[in-house]
Amino acid sequence: MPKTVGIDLGTTNSVVAVMEGGRPKVISSKEGRNTIPSVVDPEKRIVGDIAKRQLIVKPQEVIFSVKRLMGRKYDDTVVDQEKKWLPYEIVKGKNDRVNIKINDKTYTPEEISAMILKKAKEDAEDYLGDKVDKAVITVPAYFDDSQREATKQAGEIAGLEVLRIINEPTASALAYGLDKKNLHNIAVYDFGGGTFDITILEIGEGVFEVKATRGDTHLGGDDFDQKIIEFLVDEFKKENGIDLAKDPQALQRLKEAAEKAKVELSTSLETEINLPFITVKDGNPLHFVKKLSRAKIESLTEDLIKRSFDPVEECIKDSKIDPKDIDEVILVGGMTRMPRIRDEVKKHFGKEPNKSVNPDEAVALGAAIQAGIIAGDVKDVVLLDVTPLTLGVETLGGVSTPLIERNTAIPTSKSEVFSTAADNQTQVDIHILQGERSLAKDNKSLGRFILEGIPPAPRGMPQVEVTFDIDANGILDVTAKDKATGKSQSIKITGSTGLNKDEIEKMKGDAEKHAESDQQEKERIEARNKADSLVYTAEKSLKDAGDKAPKDIKEDVEKKIKDVKDSLEKGSKEEIETKTKDLSDALQKIGEIAYRQQAEKEKSEKSDASDKSDKSEKSKKNEKDVEEGEVVE
Amino acid sequence: MTAKRKDDTHKLQLELEDARHKHLRALADYQNLEKRISQLTNEARSTTQRDLLVRFLDIADHLEKAEMFIQDKGLKMIKEDFFRIFNELGVKEMDLVGKIYDPYLAEAVEVIQGDEDSVVKEVVKKGYMIGDKVLRPAHVKVTKKIDINN
Repeated sequence: MPKTVGIDLGTTNSVVAVMEGGRPKVISSKEGRNTIPSVVDPEKRIVGDIAKRQLIVKPQEVIFSVKRLMGRKYDDTVVDQEKKWLPYEIVKGKNDRVNIKINDKTYTPEEISAMILKKAKEDAEDYLGDKVDKAVITVPAYFDDSQREATKQAGEIAGLEVLRIINEPTASALAYGLDKKNLHNIAVYDFGGGTFDITILEIGEGVFEVKATRGDTHLGGDDFDQKIIEFLVDEFKKENGIDLAKDPQALQRLKEAAEKAKVELSTSLETEINLPFITVKDGNPLHFVKKLSRAKIESLTEDLIKRSFDPVEECIKDSKIDPKDIDEVILVGGMTRMPRIRDEVKKHFGKEPNKSVNPDEAVALGAAIQAGIIAGDVKDVVLLDVTPLTLGVETLGGVSTPLIERNTAIPTSKSEVFSTAADNQTQVDIHILQGERSLAKDNKSLGRFILEGIPPAPRGMPQVEVTFDIDANGILDVTAKDKATGKSQSIKITGSTGLNKDEIEKMKGDAEKHAESDQQEKERIEARNKADSLVYTAEKSLKDAGDKAPKDIKEDVEKKIKDVKDSLEKGSKEEIETKTKDLSDALQKIGEIAYRQQAEKEKSEKSDASDKSDKSEKSKKNEKDVEEGEVVE
Repeated sequence: MTAKRKDDTHKLQLELEDARHKHLRALADYQNLEKRISQLTNEARSTTQRDLLVRFLDIADHLEKAEMFIQDKGLKMIKEDFFRIFNELGVKEMDLVGKIYDPYLAEAVEVIQGDEDSVVKEVVKKGYMIGDKVLRPAHVKVTKKIDINN
């Protein structure tokens, strides 16, 4: 069945998304990136990254920023402005429209945009393995009828039926799920690669109305990069007296480094730019090494950030809405990852902006949601419930061992094999827990039962399979089955998902708060369990070895067993681990002796040997598969 | 009575049909997802390897640059080690100089005057292939016949 996609046809980059399993998803291009540069070589019909690589060789033949010309008349003042800096030739076409002339051929902006859309369509078809024949395409809120019509035509030229042209801020609001919340006024702050837009929307009965929109069509992330590059060039000149701006290779490397630094400084406070062998002075190589702090790039780009707030003020004024009455502010465009921009937005609107959606993808995701709504995909989706918290059982030492992780879609079931913790243990206690904490005592107990009648055996041998099964109504069935006898016992728990939202949030919050200390405690218990298990093995080996092991080795092992036991009483995790390691090393000597004796034996009775080693291999495997269960005396 | 029963049966049949349809759809969705996951896992693996290789290529570039200034046997060995590993992983350097410029393989970073149009005159950053795919496009200087200052 042919699919419908959502396309964010941008000035610098375009993004395509599709509804999959009820959720919007961005499709990566053939080049493996989530965005397609809106750059076209119309003669060769090359689009995106590949076209962009030729910008320098063919400045008059490779077209970028064509969105700025969409649906414009040649005499438009805007066109006059753009003509000044766009390197390609802009001419008057039919009906006074803008055309682009490359060598002897003229193209309409619609045709160029169609090539971008066609690439988006083909990448989507590649990904989906299916035809794509319909699309929802986004445009800026300020686009007039003729610009919208031109965008629609571009879609048609690309072989797409354009189901709807929607406003970029509306798409963003959809991606943020704001149509479902009971909100009235929304501000969309969209700071992209080449343009800045601010829009105030009013939502009512599922209808989005643009109350006001403003922007700066020549303000974007590229300007930030430029500021950083200029600073780096200046610094280098000050230190070394060489102007890197005159060296295209060095400049290229600085450009890449500046962009990387900008991205890194959104998450860290400082970064270092390292460019070895950037240039040569008097036959000696020079390196570029510079620490750059977040505060520094904030001061470098101060005026750019400030520039975006003039339109914001005007937009608020135009909308006649008091900033107090704006219910939500959402962030769109890569630049909104910059912490300083987020702070300023917060200051201007007096509330924390919502940044829960990837800002590069929001517009395309929203377009895909709109496409899904029109195609009927969205309402057809069966929304599966998920388990809000992790479900598990208590294991040795009071550790909570998860079986079904939180956010798993239900119905589902999961089994795991556990074992006993003591020799001749004939019953196990199955304690069912709910929650994210590492220790049983911190989680909620949902119930417990005992499986009896396990045949006496050394610890670790019996295999008890525990199965958790949750049905679509959230009813949890827990069964424990002894694999040797087939005996089983089960319990039904009805309230496993019946927590209210506050309880769930509290439990999640607790888990996050205590994550570190819980983990430490869990590690200590695990170290103890490991030590305990090794003591058991050591004692057993000593018994098995009998007189075959030399006395001094036996005494050494006995002493080390005692050391481990002592440390188990009150030792730290590290101490227990060291002692365990010592014991393990000592124990190996007994093993070596046993092997040596075995090898000698093998020499005498060769035929018998292979059979035996096979067996020991098998039993080792079994031990690996089982985990220790909670002990009940 | 019979009419009502008929009606009920019909309703149940419709429900059953609908349930069956949904069930099949869910199964199909699941199978498709499984296929997609295995495909994505493979892609993710090769993408991770490629990303990692590209980052190391930058270091290899630096080693080559260093060699121009520092003649040291140890340095040479490290560089050779790097390239031996690249080679083992199927990474091959592109051979571009003197050929017609191809944007699929290289980014043009400078235009220089030449006897012909669109010929790669110099490689400023080496390009590499892995198998038949571009691992890292080269950066090249490309010729233009007319005087560029004109």
